[in-house]
Amino acid sequence: MRISITVNGDPVAQPVDPSDTLLSVLRERLHLIGTKWGCLTGDCGACTVIVDDRSVVSCLQTVGQIDGADITTIEGIAGRGRMMNDLQEAFVTHGAAQCGFCTPGMVVAAEQLLRDGVEPNGAAIREGLAGNLCRCTGYSKIIDAVLSVALARME
Amino acid sequence: MTSYYRPGSASEAVAILAANPGAMVIAGGTDLVIDRRLGRADPRAPLVDVTGINELRGVRWDGDELHLGATATISAIESDPAVIVRTSALAEAARVLGSVQIRNMATLGGNLCTASPAAEMVPPLMVHDAVAAIRGPAGERRQAVADVVTGPRTTILASGEILTNVRLRAPALSGSCYLRQTVRWAMDLAGVGVAAWVLTDGTGREAAVQEARVALGAVAPTAVLVPGLESLLAGAPPTTERLGAVSAAASAACEPISDTRGTAEHRRHVAGVLAARALSIAHARAAGLWSGGLAPVNGRASAVTSSGERA
Amino acid sequence: MRSDYAVVGKRIPKLDAPDKVTGRTVYADDLKLSGLLTAAIKRSPHPHARILSVDVSAAEALPGVYAVIHAGNVTQRPFGFGHDNTPLKDRVVRCVGDEVAAVAAVDAATAQRALDLISVDYELLPAVDDPFEALQPGAPRIHDELDIEGNVSMEWNFQTGDLAEAERRSAVIVSGSYSSPQAAPAPIETHVVIAGFDADGALEVISPVHMVFMYRKELADCLGLDWRRITVRQPPVGGSFGGKIDIDAHDFIAVMLARAARRPVKLAMSREEEFTGTRTRQPIHFQLRTGAAADGTLLFRHAEVVSDNGAYNAWGSHALLVAMNTVTSMYRVGTSRLNAKVVYTNKNYGGSVRGFGNPQATFAVEQQMEELADALGMDPMDLRLKNANRPGDVTPQGLEITSCGLSECLETVRRKSSWDQRRGRMRRQHRGLGAAAYVHVGGGARIYGSDGCGAMTKIDDSGRVALISGSSELGQGSETALAMIVAETLGVPLEAVSVSHDDTDVKPWDVGVHASRTTFVAGNAARMAAAKARDELLKGAAEVLDRPARSLTIRDGVISVPGEPTATLRYEKAVRRRLLREGSSIIMTSAFYDPPTQRQDENYVGNISASYGFGAHVVEVEVDPDTGMVRVLGLWAAHDVGRAINPMSCEGQIEGGAVMGVGLALSEELPVEDGRFPAPNLHDYGMPTAMDAPPIDVTLIETADELGPFGAKGIGEGGIILPPAAIANAVADAVGVRPRSYPIRPWKLRRWIETGERSHVDKRPQLVRDVNAR
Repeated sequence: MRISITVNGDPVAQPVDPSDTLLSVLRERLHLIGTKWGCLTGDCGACTVIVDDRSVVSCLQTVGQIDGADITTIEGIAGRGRMMNDLQEAFVTHGAAQCGFCTPGMVVAAEQLLRDGVEPNGAAIREGLAGNLCRCTGYSKIIDAVLSVALARME
Repeated sequence: MTSYYRPGSASEAVAILAANPGAMVIAGGTDLVIDRRLGRADPRAPLVDVTGINELRGVRWDGDELHLGATATISAIESDPAVIVRTSALAEAARVLGSVQIRNMATLGGNLCTASPAAEMVPPLMVHDAVAAIRGPAGERRQAVADVVTGPRTTILASGEILTNVRLRAPALSGSCYLRQTVRWAMDLAGVGVAAWVLTDGTGREAAVQEARVALGAVAPTAVLVPGLESLLAGAPPTTERLGAVSAAASAACEPISDTRGTAEHRRHVAGVLAARALSIAHARAAGLWSGGLAPVNGRASAVTSSGERA
Repeated sequence: MRSDYAVVGKRIPKLDAPDKVTGRTVYADDLKLSGLLTAAIKRSPHPHARILSVDVSAAEALPGVYAVIHAGNVTQRPFGFGHDNTPLKDRVVRCVGDEVAAVAAVDAATAQRALDLISVDYELLPAVDDPFEALQPGAPRIHDELDIEGNVSMEWNFQTGDLAEAERRSAVIVSGSYSSPQAAPAPIETHVVIAGFDADGALEVISPVHMVFMYRKELADCLGLDWRRITVRQPPVGGSFGGKIDIDAHDFIAVMLARAARRPVKLAMSREEEFTGTRTRQPIHFQLRTGAAADGTLLFRHAEVVSDNGAYNAWGSHALLVAMNTVTSMYRVGTSRLNAKVVYTNKNYGGSVRGFGNPQATFAVEQQMEELADALGMDPMDLRLKNANRPGDVTPQGLEITSCGLSECLETVRRKSSWDQRRGRMRRQHRGLGAAAYVHVGGGARIYGSDGCGAMTKIDDSGRVALISGSSELGQGSETALAMIVAETLGVPLEAVSVSHDDTDVKPWDVGVHASRTTFVAGNAARMAAAKARDELLKGAAEVLDRPARSLTIRDGVISVPGEPTATLRYEKAVRRRLLREGSSIIMTSAFYDPPTQRQDENYVGNISASYGFGAHVVEVEVDPDTGMVRVLGLWAAHDVGRAINPMSCEGQIEGGAVMGVGLALSEELPVEDGRFPAPNLHDYGMPTAMDAPPIDVTLIETADELGPFGAKGIGEGGIILPPAAIANAVADAVGVRPRSYPIRPWKLRRWIETGERSHVDKRPQLVRDVNAR
């Protein structure tokens, strides 16, 4: 089948096997390698992308189901013409990335959480990011970074 | 290339299934995609994607009847304001199922039809006396959710049948609660999951129980309803003694195994502990005594963390 | 202590962070190479079996398959400590996951089909997955080709002092057994290795390994390659925690496949394979006794230890090296004895995982400290402070304690957690506080002839300063710390400094990243190379400014003469003045730093590290005694880091380590059933999520180590060592029972609560009275 999707604002039409995962289409067809994989069981969140304003694990998302969808990956999270958005800058300044392998998925999940209006407190952010495993940071600096942006965006 | 169908109506889906023996229904895909990759499901089987079917979608209230489409996502259930207040057990089960990402994808129908003994949504549906609508070549039939799952990974759905929706009533003076025991505090399957539902004869601390149901997940091949609760509870408020009897009945209703999520002995014990806690919270909700929002996952009022975060 | 540094001590974001948060960092699996084949490994499904035959003919015939290898068609030599392992097993498989054959094919689907076409006939052998059973006479022999008794792969025995005498003098003796699980480093990036030969036969391996020079040597030794013609490149590492420290069977297999296929191959582990086929943290079982006088003076410690090695000797067999340090040298203990057996079992085998034996040992040692204190009627913090190691101490194993902030660490967490007001007073709410402290190597660890690391600096005509370091960046922030050390030493802005450390053709030799050694050892090497560059810079500037070089200073890139505001020169100009003239020269310097340490002798005595790191945690828990669920409410950490080169990175190491430790304590485990991991996935493994991780309060204690760069000591492993012990102690405070093993999963804890689990406390009132009377 052929799907037409929008990826980071660009229209993309691809012949696909509809049972292919969005992850494999992003990484292998579109060479958007910023989206990582860590388990292929939906448990680590490294492959998180946004599909029509919802965060999903792209390793379990079959492409047959998302014809016409609007997809945002880590490469598009800052928006056109910008290197980083406020959340990405906060990750840098708070020391929220170490090995960096969970970071793209974490940033994407956190961005959607912020867009959904997460309560600006540590507990709510921890609950919202529980599907993104980080083995390096112990989460403290990630929570601090997201919280700082949640508060700043409220102003 | 996998044969892939995306029907626009339930009857079309049923026709496709009839024409493609061995075809599998895909909704959220959060279990099926893994099973196909690991060879637990046939990776070449045709897929029938039911997420394009309008009549299968949505979370809708009609008076005190809740209509849950088979492809309603767990996050849609979790975030419905009336579900949170009137059928709290469903919201509490939805809230702890997987992650935000998984809940955005996974569906009620998938959770039910995958038929895991630990399926989070099944005990809440059972205590709410939910009825499933099943569509097949012979038309629609209705079946109590309690009878839909027949064993680990097996249901009463015949080949060619699909689940279309689940309906339940949430009358006034009723309340429910879902609690569980896990190893981690998120992203974990229940070692024990317990749902309770209570209908009272009024409000306030002395409100008597009229009807009560408790269902247990992850302690038997399928979720089980605890039998005999009416005689233990009806006609009086749930006193400590009565809750003790509920615990004993719940423990007795278990047929657990020992695995990586708990020993059989522990599961039996914890089912009793959580049954009493869940029933107590459900009663408080039915009787208008609860103002705490969703309950802590194990039903135990938790402390505040050292930095002031809610634990 | 000096605090007027321009760069050192500042909270500097990691240099690689912008690329990481924007998804630009290219990890091994992200690389695309022309003609790259996909490799896959056929693994044993049996814990112990004889290989009768391997038939690969159908796989070889499959279109798209380039190579199929097995022990019968390759040349390989044994590897591992004691040479007890081969990349492809030729006669016997000794654990589930053992490598039997491998394929290289045009894509992953073809590789998988080829694996399915390989048929292996096995004759099942009796297997043993419990080390105590493996020690029994008549147990299955796991390595019958080796001349060993009772499956004991090695023994570690140490004794000093008169144990019987120390026991007689003890007013209290606590004894008990303490066990730890098989756990996994579980980085989010699984193992990926790419190997290829150029047309001239030189080998290039791309691998996120971090003992890279040893890796190269092992490749050459095992496969009969010329190691001068092996280049190892290290892409950014998606986490290791020891899991990617050095060579494993699959690394050799990738190279053998590339050799057979005449094409580059990539081997990327699935998560299931990562758990089954790469190295784990081995379980260690301690029987420990600790004795103290009535005034709390520690008199002896005696450990009988069985380490559950798994099927082969990888680094895990040597975790006793660190565990022994803790038994003999944590607090002033004097008389001590440790007898350890490392026992083969038919299981996935132990590697070097962060903390390397120390979490296991500290779990036993620090629970007994609190049990001793309770028996003596002392506060556990007072008992610890009374026996704390101090600068100038030499421990029974010859560890020379120089800088030591242990007491300050203990006092800090005691104060910040309100220990004195709260411990022992929250039992009604089932809440409790528990503490633990550690000693760990902090100035390298001489486990090899050299413990050195090389560094080179060059300054080009733009003023860009390149540091080429032997070390590796794993995400821990060493790259940034090294750049900061160079910037500080040279007196140039941090933006001018770049770090290269990912290519064995370019970088100078280093043992590798392990043992919390990089900031200390690679940092000293970088500091020395940069100091030489600074001398060169000032020498050039002296000519221009017409002042003696020793009178010049440099800060923020400006060379100046103190007291003469007009006599200044930008450092880039000083470089160009040397370069852009006849008889020109550029600045290139190098240094090699090998810390002044000793390899331990045959009695395990020797000052293995140039400094030692210390730290203390207090953890607060809440227990639900009816379900056994434990919530960690807070964690206070104080660590003696010598000097925080980059405080934000130090905190990151401690916080990340602490949460790994919380996972060990409460949830992480690879249970074995019939020699298999029934659930090798991240759903069942129990890695902490953001909801499992407590808020963490970190205090960095600076003791300015005499030998560390700017006083810094290692901190990479400190955070993970304490949570199992501290959480066990907190649980004991909350509900009055002693966790005997971790992870403290709900059903275990509830059982202990019901049975009232406690250690054996032998209290001798006579001795207590005698001392008190004095």
